Parts: sequence; structure tokens; C-alpha cells
Amino acid sequence: MNEFHLTEDQQDCLQELINIAMGQASDQLARYLNTFVYLKVPSIESVDAKNLMETLSQQKNTLAVISQGFFGYEGIRGEALLVYQEEDSGRIADLLGYEPDELSQDEQLIDISSILTTTFLNVFARQIDNQMSYNAPKLLPNVKDKLSEHLQQMPFSWDLALKVNINYQVTDYSFNCNMVLLIPETAIINIKNVLDRILAEF
Amino acid sequence: MSPSVLICDDSNMARKQVLRSLPEQWKDNVQTATNGAEALTILRNNEIEILFLDLTMPGIDGIGVLQGIKKLNITCNVFVISADIQPEMQAKVKALGAKEFIRKPVKQDVLFNNLQQHNLL
Repeated sequence: MNEFHLTEDQQDCLQELINIAMGQASDQLARYLNTFVYLKVPSIESVDAKNLMETLSQQKNTLAVISQGFFGYEGIRGEALLVYQEEDSGRIADLLGYEPDELSQDEQLIDISSILTTTFLNVFARQIDNQMSYNAPKLLPNVKDKLSEHLQQMPFSWDLALKVNINYQVTDYSFNCNMVLLIPETAIINIKNVLDRILAEF
Repeated sequence: MSPSVLICDDSNMARKQVLRSLPEQWKDNVQTATNGAEALTILRNNEIEILFLDLTMPGIDGIGVLQGIKKLNITCNVFVISADIQPEMQAKVKALGAKEFIRKPVKQDVLFNNLQQHNLL
């Protein structure tokens, strides 16, 4: 039984809040890349702590995971992971138009991730009357071996991961990344209450 | 006389957000569609004066609806209400005939202003 079990209305409400947050994150990314980002409907799924490693390891060729902590009010906190695939690395570098010696690939990914994560979470937080602050984003080295270790070393105990599958298509390029939000139970309960409050307004 | 209105959005909450932002006397003359194909069917078979249209939808999306309206020569005032706020997208929907682009989440004063600008309120 999933702790984040949502009613149909709650799911629809959460999806719409996420769509709005994604729209603004894409706009920021488009401005940063000076191009147009084609946006698909993001799919959301919740994964419990036990199954997250399994889900992530099913993705082949994980290139990089960028991890960034976030903190809001009322126990809303968590860790955002952006997970990139290996085959997308060259495309991302092309997209950014970086010369090889300008910035390392790691820094490019950290830049993009930070834009996506903070814009997404700022907009999401604003819609639920909250406000976020952030830790510095960090690239996890050797993710293949170290991801489970990192997931166990979170400064809080998280009970559920909300996985948002994002697909960005940028004119000739496309890249996929997954945004995984690890959140503790108190935050889950709080988010559900906020969803109910929003739904009660209708 | 209240105009005939169609609200097209895949999200139930987003449809309700638009509905509750409408002038009170309009609310009896509103139809809804949950995707682009449904919207085009309604537009073909009914005289719709005002369409509030989402862009990011599965299947036929908002752009597809705008193209369909053009192709079928349907006369209708289209207001796009979307989370995809990139300037290029806003320009694209206007080029395809949308009257205005309104960003989500929709607010009543903004909606009213946009309707007034086109003498629909």
C-alpha cells in the first residue's frame, strides 16, 4: 500500500500544479539555452523507498545524478535528484554550445539541473503557499556504485519518492531526464492536506 | 445574452478554475472537452463563440485544435490558457489565430481584462 495514495481529484490537482511548475521551468531553460523547448505532459508516479533503487537501476546507462536539497515551511523538505542518461550527454553539450574547454560537462549538467530544480520547486511551492530554500546542487560521483549509498545518507528519513518523468525536446535535439523528489512522510501528509484545501475551494 | 463557451483542458481542476472565473451569467451556457479531438467535435456541431483552450494535452493538443479550427473554417474567439509560457509559444498561438495567451493558473481579473479587450464582456 502506497502512503502517497491519492484520490482521483488529488492526483488531477497535483498534476496541474506540476504542469504549471514544469511550464515555468521550461521557460527558464529555454531562456538559458536561447531556444525553444517543446514540452510534453509530464508523467508523475510515486515510488516507495524500497522500490526506488530498483526503478532507477532499470534505467540503462545512467550518466549522472545531480542532487539538491530543498526546505520549506511546515515540514516540507526533501531532496531533488535529476537523473540523466548517458546517450544524452553529447546532445546536452551541443545544445549548450559550450566549447570543450569552457566548462566541463559536469558543470553544464549542474547548471541545467539547478535551473530546472529551483524554478520547478519555487513555482510549485508558491502554489501551495510555501517557500523554498536550497542547498548547493552537487553531482554524485560514480553513481552506478554510489547511488544507493547516497540515498541512505540523506539528512532526513524519506518515505516516498515522487518521480516526475520529464522529456525536453529542443528543436533538433532532445534529451530526457527524470526529476525524482525524495520527501519524508510529514511533507507527504502536508502536501495531501494542501491538495484537499485547494480542492475544497471548488 | 450570454455567449456559448467551450472550455478544453485535460485537467478537471483547470477546467473548474476557468469555469469559476467566468462571469456568473455565462455559467449556464458552458460546455467542456477533455482533449483536442473532443473539442473539435463540439466546435463542428455547435456554434461556439468563445473557446478557452489548453495547449499541453495528450492526443490532439492545443496547437492541433487551432490548426483544425483554421482548416475547418470555424469562426470562434480562442483564448489560450496554458502553463507553457515561452514567448515563442505565445507568438505561435497568436499566429494561428488565438486572440490572447493567458498564463496558468488563470485569475479572474486577468480573464476579464482579456475578454474586455476583445469587446466580449
